[in-house]
Amino acid sequence: MKYAFFLGCVIPTKYPQFEAVARKSLPKVGVELVDVEGFSCCPEPWNFKSYNIMAWLTIAARNLAIAEEAGLDILTLCSGCFATLAEAHHILEDKPELKDEVNKRLSKIGKKYNGTISAKHVVQVLRDDVGAEQIKKSVTHPLEKIRVGVHYGCHVLKPSETLRVDDPADPRILETIIKPLGAEVIPYAERLSCCTGACQDEEMVFKFRYNKLQSLEEAQVDCITLVCPACFEAFDLGQVMLNRKLEKKFNIPTLYYVQLLGLAQGLKGEEVGITRHKVRSPALLEKLN
Amino acid sequence: MPKIDLDFKKKLTRVEYADFLTYCYQCGACVGDCPSAKLSPAFNPREIVLRVLLGLAEPLLKKDSIIWQCTTCYTCQEVCPQGVRPIEVITALKNIISAQGMLPDSISASVGIIKDTGRVVLVSDVINKRRTEQGLTELKPVPMDELKKIL
Ligand code: SF4
Ligand code: SF4
Repeated sequence: MKYAFFLGCVIPTKYPQFEAVARKSLPKVGVELVDVEGFSCCPEPWNFKSYNIMAWLTIAARNLAIAEEAGLDILTLCSGCFATLAEAHHILEDKPELKDEVNKRLSKIGKKYNGTISAKHVVQVLRDDVGAEQIKKSVTHPLEKIRVGVHYGCHVLKPSETLRVDDPADPRILETIIKPLGAEVIPYAERLSCCTGACQDEEMVFKFRYNKLQSLEEAQVDCITLVCPACFEAFDLGQVMLNRKLEKKFNIPTLYYVQLLGLAQGLKGEEVGITRHKVRSPALLEKLN
Repeated sequence: MPKIDLDFKKKLTRVEYADFLTYCYQCGACVGDCPSAKLSPAFNPREIVLRVLLGLAEPLLKKDSIIWQCTTCYTCQEVCPQGVRPIEVITALKNIISAQGMLPDSISASVGIIKDTGRVVLVSDVINKRRTEQGLTELKPVPMDELKKIL
């Protein structure tokens, strides 16, 4: 299983710990990550798409064309990159006239996208190509006592018609790849609600996040686990910002899925980078030791 | 008197994926599950689609438009029985605002960084140092000559 490793922008710059642990833990389940030169921002599907859909599509097509030249499907750790690249691929397949127009632009730099590869989120690769059995085999330190609240986020699931990852009304993919690690997945009321990273109204954003964190706290989870750096920022840095406005203080650490995987494979908390996070929980560290 | 632009919907029916808006029968399914509508009664995807259809979209086309309250969660697209994709209508409206040079400042700043450097985060020495500390290679600059040519 060989993939072009699409880093995107946010993970390699703000959260390199996720990239570092992915490079250690994914090969242990048989995934080979190939570094391909020349990728740019995917570009992100919130602000840049709002700016100009055609520019968004063209840059995405250039990234897809680079992976296609290398003859590899793309693997990304980021739901934003996944949403952009998978959607752009779909649009170009669905609308031949747009594909022609985009390829006309790409021809100026000697590139062309034929549509022969696909872009996958790491969770898809883990569920579909690796499988729960193989994940379990790589586990040396089952996370038995850890109570995980999963946060799906939006862009790994929706629009489902295009992305085809799981049923957005009742997804199971994260549970499927967390259970082999030995952790317990705890249901909670706000499980499917959005991180609201793209909403430009600060008051609303605080309310959304308050509701989510309140629901996680009531469910007594040890950590939130998620698969998107924008969502991570919303619940790590975002929790600190929210706490500043509140009488009460939330203390729910956020772990990227690959960090959980690394921990279950025997890496220490420090090695997977959880000590670099804004929200730290001594209780979680103790449980991990 | 509100300004009515009878041809406005044509602008959107020409945008890929916003082009299903004439199928909207105003059922409101997109409102029930919309997280932004839950917190902000003034935000209503059904009404946004209706305004476009009636040519009354002008109040939506501003720097501080209510449409920036959308979380882009795509739930409205999932639930719409008519395949309307209200979120794509909203994105098309944002593109119109953008073409008029009226993007909110934070958004236009983030777009500017991508147009200048090819990434949405500025890569600094501090970032590269943090990467090498963790056993990762430094990030190379994005080939901007290529990006400029295709835009
Ligand atoms: S759900 Fe679809 S048909 Fe119903 S009001 Fe919303 S956009 Fe219109
Ligand atoms: S994408 Fe926007 S309009 Fe649609 S449901 Fe989500 S917040 Fe509401």
